[in-house]
Amino acid sequence: MSIAEAEAAQLSVEQPSGLWSDAWRRVRRNPAAWVGAGLLLFFVICAVFAPLLAPYGPQETVGSLAAVPPGPTAEYPFGLDEQGRDVLSRVIYGARLSLLVGLVSVAIGLSLGLVLGAVSGYFGGRVDGVIMRFMDLMLSIPGFLLAIGLVTLLGRGLFQIMFAIGITTVPIFARLLRGSILAQREADYVLAARSVGTPGFRLLTVHILPNSIAPVIVQATLAMATAIIDVAGLSFLGLGPNDPSLPEWGKFLAENAARLQNSAHLVFFPGFAVVFSVLAFNLLGDALREAIDPKLRA
Amino acid sequence: MPLLEVRDLQVRFSTRGKTVYAVNGISFDLDPGDTLGIVGESGCGKSVSSLAMLGILPKPAGRVHGGQVVFDGEDLLTLPDERLRHIRGNDIAMVFQDPMTSLNPVLTVSRQLTEALRTHLDLGKKEAAAEAASLLDRVGIPDARQRLRDYPHQFSGGMRQRVGITMAIACRPKVLIADEPTTALDVTIQAQILELLRTLVREEGMALILVTHDLGVVAGICERTHVMYAGRFVETAPTGELFANPRHPYTVGLLKSVPRLDAARKQRLDPIGGAPRDQTSEPTACAFAPRCAYASTESWEQLPVLRELDGATGPAAHRVACWNPVPEQDLVAAGIRQAPTGRQTGDQPDEERQA
Repeated sequence: MSIAEAEAAQLSVEQPSGLWSDAWRRVRRNPAAWVGAGLLLFFVICAVFAPLLAPYGPQETVGSLAAVPPGPTAEYPFGLDEQGRDVLSRVIYGARLSLLVGLVSVAIGLSLGLVLGAVSGYFGGRVDGVIMRFMDLMLSIPGFLLAIGLVTLLGRGLFQIMFAIGITTVPIFARLLRGSILAQREADYVLAARSVGTPGFRLLTVHILPNSIAPVIVQATLAMATAIIDVAGLSFLGLGPNDPSLPEWGKFLAENAARLQNSAHLVFFPGFAVVFSVLAFNLLGDALREAIDPKLRA
Repeated sequence: MPLLEVRDLQVRFSTRGKTVYAVNGISFDLDPGDTLGIVGESGCGKSVSSLAMLGILPKPAGRVHGGQVVFDGEDLLTLPDERLRHIRGNDIAMVFQDPMTSLNPVLTVSRQLTEALRTHLDLGKKEAAAEAASLLDRVGIPDARQRLRDYPHQFSGGMRQRVGITMAIACRPKVLIADEPTTALDVTIQAQILELLRTLVREEGMALILVTHDLGVVAGICERTHVMYAGRFVETAPTGELFANPRHPYTVGLLKSVPRLDAARKQRLDPIGGAPRDQTSEPTACAFAPRCAYASTESWEQLPVLRELDGATGPAAHRVACWNPVPEQDLVAAGIRQAPTGRQTGDQPDEERQA
């Protein structure tokens, strides 16, 4: 047993690390991940502490009505809008809505997609056929168009909008997880678990899912970016939340597109916010993908 | 009544109209404490047979086409899934080939070892962990208690296979199926793992089915050996007898393709020509005929069945499924057997080769 002991001694020197801590190490080494995480943190802080950070309330009138509202000044760094409201405050409050939409709609899409994908991949056969053809059907309609259709159908409440955007991501998650599960389903460790009598549900939840979920997590991060763009897009088309008091970046853009010539600040700052929040999720998602996807590993 | 009785087990795989006849009727008995070797080349159906016995064939492609696997008076093949699940791991367990892939990378060793214990023995978390630690200790993993918290990738190949064995023997099964347990390991580690299996079988009174392509492995550990080709047993005998007096041309071919210490220095290895049989049709004649120097018209037309040689029956029986068993003088010519006029008669099993 001396060889065995030597082996063990040698190994125990190594730092213990699991699959996830390994991925975490790779993420930390990636500068893009730091930029993405920093930006995201910035937006999260804006959203959470909006009442503290914003100099005024989102609906508060601090200037006078003006056809050509004043641009950035020392007092109002992002300028004022045509109703005399502080643009900076409105953009800060807007972060709440955009992040909420991103989070909730992805949560909706993810939970439905995970269930469908897991059932499809694990059981296979006819169940798989039916679910996947339905997903194909959904994918054949452009996502944004589907969201427009659903919002038109369900109404323009905030939750309906998040639901509509979430639904468009369901087939993406379902397909991704299904493929990943198919790859794991016949893996040796699954066979080994079956050979000791592990029940089916445990097999799926304890053994197969944790080994299949990585690409889905990456996709979820990227889907948040898409959700933020989508809700801005819906607002721009006039299908945004019907509560006019909600500060929504996309709505600012839509309302002020015509003023671009005279009051560029009304479009510039909200647009900037959309771009950077989307960039944050994309950078983070790409970094995660590089850390987790075995095909991208050097 | 034997502990495990396999009768005419048949397994087929079907995908898109194509059927692969993987196992075409194998039968054997296993008594407590028996060690049985199943030898054959890749794709001959040896692993598939073991998966079929446990009811864990890849679904939906693989299915048992016929036969019986009687364990403790029950036919495992007709048992409801739930009942069979209780037998798996508890009464019959399996060790897998590649310890690099047969452990779940995201679970600690402890989680995986206690899986069977908690499923079958109704142990609490603490008791199960304590039992797992003593089992790890048993299979020769130092610092067992510490190492329970480690992940599989923190173990070397040999150590992982010890973990794999621990997982299989956790509930003290009556039958242990080891599917190529040493194939993925270094030679020195192979010897350790085989020694461990031998000890466990002896001390626990388990019956062992060792599935391998390595004749050296069965020689070292199995009392009886079945040689498998194209989903059927072509020769079965006590291991010593099989090595000393092989009669099926395939067995002889296998022995001739293994390097031997006692062979003349310049003697070249003699591989079996041709390729394994394409298993997409049901065999109706001798499957080995296309690769066989002894094939006759009968070989091409009729399926040979296992027949006893020399009248020996019971545990000593030597059975061959061949129309033209290899004659003795050819065994002598191939260097497998001593000439009858030599220092000993050829009937004596060659002790050197068993070691």
